[in-house]
Amino acid sequence: MEGLSTAVPNRLSSQQSEDTFLVELDRFSGPLELLLHLIRSQDIDIFDIPISQITRQFQAVIESGIEDLELDRAGEFLELAATLIRIKAQLLLPRPDDVQWDEDPRAELVRRLLEYELFQEVAGVLGGAEAERRRHFGKGYLALRQQPEEVRGKLTTTLAELIEVAGAIPEPDPVTTHVAPTRVVTVEEKMSAIRTHLNQTDRLLFSRLFGSWRDREHVVAALLACLELARQQVLRIEQVKRFGFIWLFGDNDRKKSGSGSKTTNKVRPSDASKLTDVHDTETPSELSLAPVDS
Amino acid sequence: MSPEQIVEATLFASQTPLTPREIARADESLDVGVVRTALDGLRERYEGDGRAFQVYQLGDGYQILTRPEFAPYLERFDSVPRPPSLSRAALETLAIIAYRQPLGRIELEEIRGVASASVLRTLQDWELIAVVGRGEGLGRPLLYGTTKHFLDHFALQSLSDLPRAQDLPISLARTTAEEVTESDIGSLVRSPETSEATGSMSGEEVETESR
Repeated sequence: MEGLSTAVPNRLSSQQSEDTFLVELDRFSGPLELLLHLIRSQDIDIFDIPISQITRQFQAVIESGIEDLELDRAGEFLELAATLIRIKAQLLLPRPDDVQWDEDPRAELVRRLLEYELFQEVAGVLGGAEAERRRHFGKGYLALRQQPEEVRGKLTTTLAELIEVAGAIPEPDPVTTHVAPTRVVTVEEKMSAIRTHLNQTDRLLFSRLFGSWRDREHVVAALLACLELARQQVLRIEQVKRFGFIWLFGDNDRKKSGSGSKTTNKVRPSDASKLTDVHDTETPSELSLAPVDS
Repeated sequence: MSPEQIVEATLFASQTPLTPREIARADESLDVGVVRTALDGLRERYEGDGRAFQVYQLGDGYQILTRPEFAPYLERFDSVPRPPSLSRAALETLAIIAYRQPLGRIELEEIRGVASASVLRTLQDWELIAVVGRGEGLGRPLLYGTTKHFLDHFALQSLSDLPRAQDLPISLARTTAEEVTESDIGSLVRSPETSEATGSMSGEEVETESR
């Protein structure tokens, strides 16, 4: 609600009921990621989750998209929905004033979410390390483009053979157009180019990536490169309105939301300070996650 | 032939990381200490000469690789297919296995909240994880751990290169929790003693486990 109404153009939000989120279910790798997204995007305190609000939103999202999911995946989302409803029921049940819960019914869920979020952060770090590693090449990695083999030797053929072969060659099409071979542009090259640009500047106009070529191949490669980098959370893509400028932002605040929410072209408030606030907050020192041996 | 030259020759000829012990096999004059000194010497020399390559440590091995700033040039060639960069699900799964190994599929799925059999198979195919043992209990479930190649894939020297939780930005956990007690948090993560003990886990041990 709060998260989205600030983030979506008025035109859209007026059509949405306030509890509806513009998220696609299959964008999420699982129910925990969706739940984290709902919590993060509304700046909710994870230790005091408004269960009925979150449950309502969670149900709304899965109802809107569950039919497109495979049965197994749908079951995973439904299982967490059931958990949320159970917690909500526990919280609603009247209890005598002097009886305390042994544990807040939400505590187990909070534990799982915190743990899951930690691992998401680590996954983000691993993704960065992987991208860096892929920029190093070991031996044997280069293959030159294939050249046709040159065959030397005496011509051993008869005139009859030659005429026969020549006759088998079809008449050339009178209006053949000659297509000059162009150097193939790869997504990798575009990704490198984007990285280089973003190292030098905070943001980059998408159209700059293929501006000088005006070539479909370049546009497609640039788009794929952007999407891949967004998936790796190296950059964030923003477009304020339909057909508006598409901006690419560097990874300065990528740690903030590992959920991949930045891959959408839904608008965020352009002042990024709100995002970085959350990011900069101190980490409780009790939370330690370390490699564990057997 | 100086030790440095011999070490350089072995690294140059190899397509995979070599441990100092493996390099030392090249000549009777070498031992692990000499090799390490030679490696440092080579690195300094490449750095000073402005070479396009450098000796990098991957796991407990060393390999000559190009410097990252030359990637744009090399990417223009048809290159031997590199492993695709991993999906989010794969990275997430690897993160969990790296910190909680040895770990079974059921525990993994409890943390992720989703079925994980296929991602486990993929990671095994890419030799990023391996079966390292069998757990107690029904069906003696397979337990997974990370491999030496895992360290190579992410250019880690050892598992202790992975970030500690306190170094990570955790946007959600900023509030001091009254409702979640300290013991709750304690059970969320392993105790400091364990993390201390494994902080020094070397790639070599990991490899032994995966064999």
